[in-house]
Amino acid sequence: MPELSKMKKPDVKVVLLGDMNVGKTSLLHRYTERKFKDTISTVGGAFFLKQWGPYNISIWDTAGREQFHGLGSMYCRGAAAVILTYDVTNWQSLAEIEERFLSLTDTANHDCIYAVVGNKADLTDPKAQMYQDSDVSKDQTECGEARTEPQVLSACPTPPASPASLSGMILHKQVTHEDAVALYGRILRYKGLDEKDSLPAEKMCFETSAKTGYNVDTLFETLFDLVLPSILRKRNENQRSPTVDLEEFRGGSGKRARSTCC
Amino acid sequence: MSVKAFELVPAVERDLLMGDKARINIQCIECCGKHLYVGTNDCFIHHFLLDEVTSSKGKLSYSPQKLLHKYLGLKKPVAELRAASALERLIVLCDGIVFLVDMVTLETVPSAAGGGAKIRGVTAFCVNENPVNGDPFCVEIGVLSSKRRTVQIYMVYEDRVQLVKEVTTPEQPCALSVDGYFLCLALTTQYMILNYKTGASQDLFPYNSEERRPIVKRIGREEFLLAAPGGLGMFANAEGASQRAPVNWSESVLGATVCFPYVVALDESFITIHSMLDQQLKQTLSFRDGHILQDFEGKVILASTKAVYVLVPLPLERQIQDLLANHRVEEALILTEGAQRNIPKDKFQILHKRILQQAGFIQFGQLQFPEAKEHFKKGQLDVRELISLYPLLLPASSTFTRCHPPLHEFADLNHLAHGDQDKVLRCKKFLISYLGEVRSTEVANGCREDVDTALLKLYAEQDHESLLDLLASDNACLLADSVPWLEKYHKYFALGLLYHYNGQDSAALQLWTRVVDGDLQDSTRSDLYEYIVDFLCTCSNLDHVWKYADWALRKDPTIGVHIFIKRPVSTDQSELKPDDVVTYLGKHSQALLLYLEHLVLEKRIQKEKFHTHLAVLYLERVLSLLSESPTDEEQLARARERLQALLRESNLYRVQFLLGKMDKYEQLLLERATLHGKLEEHDKALHILVHKLRDFPSAEAYCIWSSSCRDSAYRQQLFHMLLGVYLDGNLSGKSQTAAGGGSGDLEMAAVDLLNRHGEAFDAVRVLRMLPDGWSLQLLRPFLGRAVRASMHTCRTSQIALGLAHSENLQLLHDRLKVQKKPIFVSEKKGCHLCHNTFTEPDVVCLPGGVPVHTRCVAQRVRDSPTKRQLTNSSKHT
Repeated sequence: MPELSKMKKPDVKVVLLGDMNVGKTSLLHRYTERKFKDTISTVGGAFFLKQWGPYNISIWDTAGREQFHGLGSMYCRGAAAVILTYDVTNWQSLAEIEERFLSLTDTANHDCIYAVVGNKADLTDPKAQMYQDSDVSKDQTECGEARTEPQVLSACPTPPASPASLSGMILHKQVTHEDAVALYGRILRYKGLDEKDSLPAEKMCFETSAKTGYNVDTLFETLFDLVLPSILRKRNENQRSPTVDLEEFRGGSGKRARSTCC
Repeated sequence: MSVKAFELVPAVERDLLMGDKARINIQCIECCGKHLYVGTNDCFIHHFLLDEVTSSKGKLSYSPQKLLHKYLGLKKPVAELRAASALERLIVLCDGIVFLVDMVTLETVPSAAGGGAKIRGVTAFCVNENPVNGDPFCVEIGVLSSKRRTVQIYMVYEDRVQLVKEVTTPEQPCALSVDGYFLCLALTTQYMILNYKTGASQDLFPYNSEERRPIVKRIGREEFLLAAPGGLGMFANAEGASQRAPVNWSESVLGATVCFPYVVALDESFITIHSMLDQQLKQTLSFRDGHILQDFEGKVILASTKAVYVLVPLPLERQIQDLLANHRVEEALILTEGAQRNIPKDKFQILHKRILQQAGFIQFGQLQFPEAKEHFKKGQLDVRELISLYPLLLPASSTFTRCHPPLHEFADLNHLAHGDQDKVLRCKKFLISYLGEVRSTEVANGCREDVDTALLKLYAEQDHESLLDLLASDNACLLADSVPWLEKYHKYFALGLLYHYNGQDSAALQLWTRVVDGDLQDSTRSDLYEYIVDFLCTCSNLDHVWKYADWALRKDPTIGVHIFIKRPVSTDQSELKPDDVVTYLGKHSQALLLYLEHLVLEKRIQKEKFHTHLAVLYLERVLSLLSESPTDEEQLARARERLQALLRESNLYRVQFLLGKMDKYEQLLLERATLHGKLEEHDKALHILVHKLRDFPSAEAYCIWSSSCRDSAYRQQLFHMLLGVYLDGNLSGKSQTAAGGGSGDLEMAAVDLLNRHGEAFDAVRVLRMLPDGWSLQLLRPFLGRAVRASMHTCRTSQIALGLAHSENLQLLHDRLKVQKKPIFVSEKKGCHLCHNTFTEPDVVCLPGGVPVHTRCVAQRVRDSPTKRQLTNSSKHT
C-alpha cells in the first residue's frame, strides 16, 4: 500500500465495525485490491487510504475480536461514516452490532452516517453467488477454494464456506433484509435521529459478498458520495481556523501555491 | 522481515559500571549530548562521556570515559533521571523525592531561599518537551503523586521548583506524558488525554494497568504511543483519535519509542522493530535482561541491568539498499517515500530517483515490465542505463558509462536471462516499446542518437514494422553504427532511407538499385523499382537523376520515363530542361516517345521542334509497322490513328518535311491529304481523298475539319471545291469509259454531299454546275432545303428590314423629344416677320423656335432664294 507512505492527511474517515469473522477485512480487500484472498484475524486495526476524486478517505478496518473491543471508540472518533457489518448466516453477528458496537460509535461525528451491511450473501443468495466481478473474474478460480477465516471459537460459528458454496448449495439465511432494516431504525432511535430526516433504510442497508464482489463497490461508493458534504464542511472549518497547516502546503499542492504566487 | 534497520552497539559495559558487584543494577539512564548518566539501585549516579568512534571500515563504536560517580545518600534506587541542560541540572527521582543535582559536580542543589527545590511523594514525573511556557531557563514537568489522584505541573528552575497547576484525575494515574497542555495518562483501568489548562478530558481506551505495565510515550507533536490490550502499540493524538494503524507487539513490552520510520519496542528478551509505514515487523534483535528503552534527542539507548547499549540506526540508504538487495521493492519504496520529511529535499529527490531506478531494474529482472516501466519513468532513468544492458545496442561512439554504484546486478541481458532466449526476446520487446515511448520525451534529451540508434537496431533485428516509420520521420540514428546492423539484417531499403535522411542519396540509390537488380536481397518493398522512380522524380540533385535515369529506363522505359514526366513543377534550378531530356532520351526511343507525348499532348508545349519530332516518331513507327510482313493490322491502325490525330491537331510541325518523308508511301494517303490540308492545298488533298482513296466520308470530314476555325464562306468554298472534284471526275469519268462504275460513285457522292450539307452550298452556283441530265427527284432534298433556305433568308431579311426601320423611327422620335421644347403660339404673340398676331394655329417655326406665319415664310422664301435651307420645321398645335 504505497498510498500509506505518502502520509497524506485524510479528509474523512470511514470505519468498518462488526463482530469477528463477518468479513470486514475481506470487504476492504475486495474493494481495494479487487480480489478475495485469505485474511488472518485482524490485530488491532488497519487502515487504507482511498483517493476519491480530490479527497483522501481513510477506511479503518477494525478488529472484531473482543480483546480489541476497547479500541473501537478511538477508531470511531471523528468518523464520517460507520459500516456496521454482520454475517447473513449468523443471527448473533447482527445482535452483536446492537449489543457491542453501537455504543462505540458515540465518538463519531454528530452527522455520521451509518450503513448496515450483511456480508457473505453469496452463501444464501444465488444472485450474489453468480455475481462476477468484472475486474477479475480469473481470481475466482484462484481464490475460490476456501473461505479460510480463522475459525476462532464463537457462540455461533460461521459455516465454513468452501464445500457448500462450490457445490452451489444455498445455506439457511438467518438474517433477512427486514431484520437489517429494523436494526437501522433502532440505530437511528439510539442516535436520537428522526427517521424522516435521516437517510432511508433501503438506501443504507446492503447485502454484500466480499467473495464474489457482489455489491461491494456499490457499498463503498455510495458511502463516499454521501460523506462528501462532510468533507466540505470539514474543509470549511479548516479554512476558518487560523492555524496554517504546513503539511498541507508542502505536500501535493506545490502547483497551486506556485500559481497563486507571482 | 529482516531489514537491518538498527545495530546494537555497546556503550557502557558492566565492568565500567559496577565491576563484579552482582547486586548492583542499572535503574535509570539519561543521555544529553555526549553525557551519559546512569542511576543505580544503590543510589549512585554515574557520569560518563560517550565518544563515538568510527572505525576505518565505517563501523561505529563507543568509547566511554567515566567522569564521576556520586552517592546520593538515600540508600534507595535512583528511579528517574532527567537532564535540564539549559539549567545545568539533573532532575532526580529517588525515594519518592524529586530534587536537583548539578550536571557537572553531581552535587545536590540546595534549596533556594523562599522556595523548595524538592517535591515529595512522587511516583513518576515527566518533562514536557513541547512546553507552552516560552521561558528557556525553566523546565516544565508533570508529576504523579503516590496518594492523591492528581497530576501536578511544576516549573523547575535552577535552584527551585514551583507548582503551577494541579488537576485531579478520575482514577489513580500511574504513567504520564506531556505535550503542550495535553497530559496523556495511564490510569488504573484506562488511558486518557487531559488538557490541564481547560480541564477537558478524553477517554482513549481501557487498559488494565495493574495487569500489564502501561506505556505512554510522546512521539511527536500531540501524538502518543500507548501499550494497548493484546500487545498492541496504539497511536493516539491529543483529540483522542488514532491516525496510524497499530503495531503488533508482544504482550510483555517494557518500553517503546519511535525512531522514524520505525517503532522500537523492548520486551524481556527481544528488541522488535516495526515500520510505522506498513505496520510490519522489520527486525528483531535478541536482547536479554533488557529493562530500559528510551530515546534521547533521537538516540535510542537501551539498558540491561548491567550494561548500556545504543541502538544505532543504519543509514536509511543502506536499509533501502538491503531491501532492494532482497528484491523487496515495495518496502524499499515505502521506506524511501516515508523518509521524505527526514531528508533535505534535494537530497531526497536524488535518493528517490535512484531507488525508483533500482526498483525498476529489479522488476525488469523479474520481467515485470509494466511495473518496471512505471518506476523507470518516475525515476527519470537515463535510458542508456537500460540500453546498455543489451549487448551492442549502444553506438560505438556513445560516451555513456553506467552509473556508479551500479543500479543493478546484471552484466547484460544474457546474464539476466541466463541464456533463456524467450526471456531475451521479451526483454527486447519491452525495450522496443519503452524506447518508442520515451524517445520523444525529455528523458531522451542529450542522448537521442543513442536512443534512436538502439531502437533502429532492435527494429531491424526484430523485423519490426516501425523501422521504416522511424527512418522516414525525424530521427537521430547514427549512420556509422546503423549501416552494418541494417546490412546484417538485410534491411537495405531501410538503410537507403537512412542514407537519404543523412543526405547521401547517391548511396541510397546505389543500394536500392542493387536490390532491384537482385544483387542484394530485401523483400521489404516489392515495388522498390517504382519507389526509386518516384524518388528520382522528386530528387533535387539532377546528377542523381541523370545517373540513375538510364538504369531506370533500361529496366522499364514506360515507368522509368515517369522520372521526367511526373517531376513536380518547381522554379529552382532543379527544373529539367525538356531539350536536355529529349536529347538524353535519344537512346530510349519508347521513353522518348512517351516524353514527347507528355510535352506535346499533355503539357501542350508550343514548340515546333517537339511537335515535328513527335510526328516523325509516329511516322517512323507507322513506317516500321508497314515494313513488317505480315503487318499487324490492329497495331498499324492504332499507330496511324495517333499520327493522323497529331497531324490534324497540331499546327506547329514542319509540314513539308513530313510530306517529304511520306512521299513514297502510297499507303499513307490519308496522312498526306491532311498535310496538304495544312498547307491549304485543298485541291491536292481532295484529289487524294476522292480519286485515290475514294473515301468520300473522309473527304467530307476533311472539309469540315479544314474549315473548323474559319468563317462559313471558307467552308462554302471548300464544299464547292469538293463538289467540283466530284463532278469533274464524273465528267471525265464519262469520257473515260474505262473508269466504269467509278463515275457513278462520284455522282452519288456528289448527290449525297448536296443532300447532306445543302446549307453549306450556294444553291445558284450549284445549279449552274450540275449536269443537265440529273433528275429533279435526285436532288429533291437539296433543292427543297435550298428553296426553303432562300425563302427563309428572304423573310428573315424583310423582318430585319422592318425591325430596323421601326427602330430608326423610334430613335428619331426620341431624339426630337429630347431636343425640342414646346413653342407657344397665342393670339397675343406677334409674328416676327409681319408683326401681326396669329389668328390660326398653323405656324412655321424659324430656327431658334421662333413662330412666324406660314405665308410670311412663303413670302420670304420667295424673296430671298439664297435662304431656302430652312430646316427643322414642324407643325405644332
